[in-house]
Amino acid sequence: MKKSDLDKVKIKQIPAQKRTNPFANVFDEFVGFCRSRSMFMLHYCTGCGAIELPPAMTSRFDMERLGIQPMVSPRQADILLITGYVSIKTLKRVILTYEQMAAPKYVIGICSCTVNGGMYWQSYATAKKLDEYFPVDLYIAGCMPRPEAVIEGLQQLMQKIKANEANSWKQYYKNYDYFLGNQQHLFGNNWQTPTDVIGEAETYQLAGPNTLGEHTKILQSVQTPLKPLEMKL
Amino acid sequence: MNTLDALLLISLLTALASGLGQGHRLIGWITALLFSLQFVAIMVMGSLGYGGAVVEASISLSIFGHPVSWRFDGLSWFFALITIGAALASSIFAAGSWAEDYRKHGGKPGLLQFAIALNVFTMLLLLASGDLLTLFIGWELASWSSLLLMMVAGGKAKNFALRYIVYATGGAMAVLAGLGIIFQLTGSFAYADLAAIAPSLSTLQIVSLSILFVFGFGIKLGLMPFHLWQADAYAETPGPGAAFLGAISSRMALFAIAVVLVQLIGLVKLINIEIPFTFLSFRDLLLWVAALTIIFTTFTALRQNDARRLLAWHGIGQGGYMLIGILLLDPLGSAGGLMHIFNYATYQAALFLAVSAVIYRTKTADLNQLGGLVTRMPLTFLVMLIGIIGLAGIPPMNGFVSKWLIYRSLIVEGMPLLFIATVIGTLGTILSVYKLIHNTFLGQLRLEHEQIREVPWSMLLPMLVLSTVVFVTGFMPGLVLDWVVAAQAALGIPQVAHHLGGIESAHGSLDMIWISGVLFSGFGIGALLFYSGNKTKHVHQLDNYAGGHFLTADTRYHYTNNFYAGLMHYIGSWYRNSFQWLESSLVSVVSLLSGFTQILFHSFHPALFLLITATLSLYFFAG
Repeated sequence: MKKSDLDKVKIKQIPAQKRTNPFANVFDEFVGFCRSRSMFMLHYCTGCGAIELPPAMTSRFDMERLGIQPMVSPRQADILLITGYVSIKTLKRVILTYEQMAAPKYVIGICSCTVNGGMYWQSYATAKKLDEYFPVDLYIAGCMPRPEAVIEGLQQLMQKIKANEANSWKQYYKNYDYFLGNQQHLFGNNWQTPTDVIGEAETYQLAGPNTLGEHTKILQSVQTPLKPLEMKL
Repeated sequence: MNTLDALLLISLLTALASGLGQGHRLIGWITALLFSLQFVAIMVMGSLGYGGAVVEASISLSIFGHPVSWRFDGLSWFFALITIGAALASSIFAAGSWAEDYRKHGGKPGLLQFAIALNVFTMLLLLASGDLLTLFIGWELASWSSLLLMMVAGGKAKNFALRYIVYATGGAMAVLAGLGIIFQLTGSFAYADLAAIAPSLSTLQIVSLSILFVFGFGIKLGLMPFHLWQADAYAETPGPGAAFLGAISSRMALFAIAVVLVQLIGLVKLINIEIPFTFLSFRDLLLWVAALTIIFTTFTALRQNDARRLLAWHGIGQGGYMLIGILLLDPLGSAGGLMHIFNYATYQAALFLAVSAVIYRTKTADLNQLGGLVTRMPLTFLVMLIGIIGLAGIPPMNGFVSKWLIYRSLIVEGMPLLFIATVIGTLGTILSVYKLIHNTFLGQLRLEHEQIREVPWSMLLPMLVLSTVVFVTGFMPGLVLDWVVAAQAALGIPQVAHHLGGIESAHGSLDMIWISGVLFSGFGIGALLFYSGNKTKHVHQLDNYAGGHFLTADTRYHYTNNFYAGLMHYIGSWYRNSFQWLESSLVSVVSLLSGFTQILFHSFHPALFLLITATLSLYFFAG
């Protein structure tokens, strides 16, 4: 797999679609408002950006006044906050964690390292651009960004959610083949996570023409599927 | 022949049939059938539970000129109903597949059934006793037959059973001494004679009688500091036997205490006796012994890693609640105490049977070796869930009602410290039952348990029926309160005003129908939100978050070992095994003394010692 082939797939941001039914519109706006005001954040603290989070969370800048709280498990979390350079080994864990989060989920990359590798540009072991491996809603650049910047970024995310524009998590299901291809490029063809992303895409009716492809074929040939435990008498 | 004769006869027949038909393949089912006949008989006597007239047995004997007679009143009927119900459930559980499995592993299911039947018969004799001599005979018979039940498993169980009988013999001696004093005072063993002289007893007589009887009967109840024997002895009994023992056996002590101390001697006198140099009355002392029994044993249960021991330790603690309730003497508290006997029996039997079901499938009760069984044994999980909600005393199950009554009574009677003590006990209960269900049914399913199935219907049926009773009598506690009121009337305690849903009282009422209604409408709203949402997708248990680690089936991420490490950080140093130490040092002293006597006897002239002993005893009896 050549890197140039992968770049052909372009990810387009889908503009928020307003539904024709006015009541449905109001309902969507209400849901968007509620979502934006109550978010659990899983902070995946890598690199030095993590040090800016304690002041952002605690009384000085007080993230909680925006309705944002730390959460210990990805199953209940809404935001995945990645706070610095992501080595290849870490990236596997980040992807595992991302896939375990329940939709709707939002990803924020903090620090320059998540944008383009930052000072680790020349490192052989660091993932350069985070959004090649899973969709990222928002970057907060800086080395490191101050807590004000973090709060500012979170507020922007809230605005996007309120306007029903933060739909990048759907891209992961719709263009799974693309993301998986990049992951396989980095980790090798044996790469797999326990999460059944294709099955989820079908369950949530988000499977599109780009969900399946040559990379998912490779995945399906190596994957040992995990069947959920059914209750049985 | 009246109904009581019939009941006792069927009970005797059950014991005989199961004893003689040991080897027969169907003996389990035959015993279960005979138990259900007993159940029918107790139901026929149902009017006793609603204030019916006392039923006298037509058989009566005479020992050395003292009449031995049997009769049933509201209190006896209440206890007998629980006894037979628990025995019936255990017997059905032990009759089918469980017996086959037990036999395959070298056990004797027929012997177990016989032991249960014998226990029921002797306990009915005790419950039906119409005078103090009969009470003592019944007490001894019940003690020794429960020894048989504890020894059924053999091996380690025998040691624990022998430990029990040492305690029980001590208790029996105390009871005998008490009876001796009473006989000296009244010249007879009749209840009426004791009740007649009770008002004229001196303080010293009352205190010594109460101490002797509380000590004698309290040993069976597992009151502090005589609680050490119970948990091991009960836990090592094979599953259904443990369910029966745990549910009712030690409650016989409460029956005896209620009859002798409350009905005959009268507790009111104990309330008036102050202990010198303290601010406690004699009854307060007993209440505090019961409260400490609750706290110490419950927090010991918290540390157990064997499901059966955890439950057995709770059995001792819950006995403390019942004793507190009965000693409170007011309508609310005594109703709570009596009702707790019934409620506790229902969920304790269900819990022990559920644990036995788990053992039947997995061959272990070690809480560190289980987990995730909810997907494989969902009905057993349901039974355990209902059982632990009852045991922890949380609505809407029946355990809540009786505990509420006891709490309320403690507050109304002005005993806030005892109230706090009981609440601390309940806190320990909640923590440890959560540990029980979490370590058994929740969390990660082990590889070796992948192929497990639900237990067969012969085992499920008694469990499900028991848990239905737990729920229904929690939803409509009036059903049981009717019987409790009849028992209160038999004891001569003022009766609690009640209706189908609960209690009517000037100090606050309880209506479980409303409480359950509100609770379930809350659940309904939650269910509505859940089921109206998007489609759900089930995930595998290994698709789980472990700080970003990739989990495999051989990774244990089910947190069981050193459960409540955080709590133990604070209270762990308080566990000092002081009582174990006390017991073992007493044992050392006794064995040292006996060894010394033996040496004395062997090294000097044995014949001389015999002569001295014989002369002294002759002098004692003849002179």
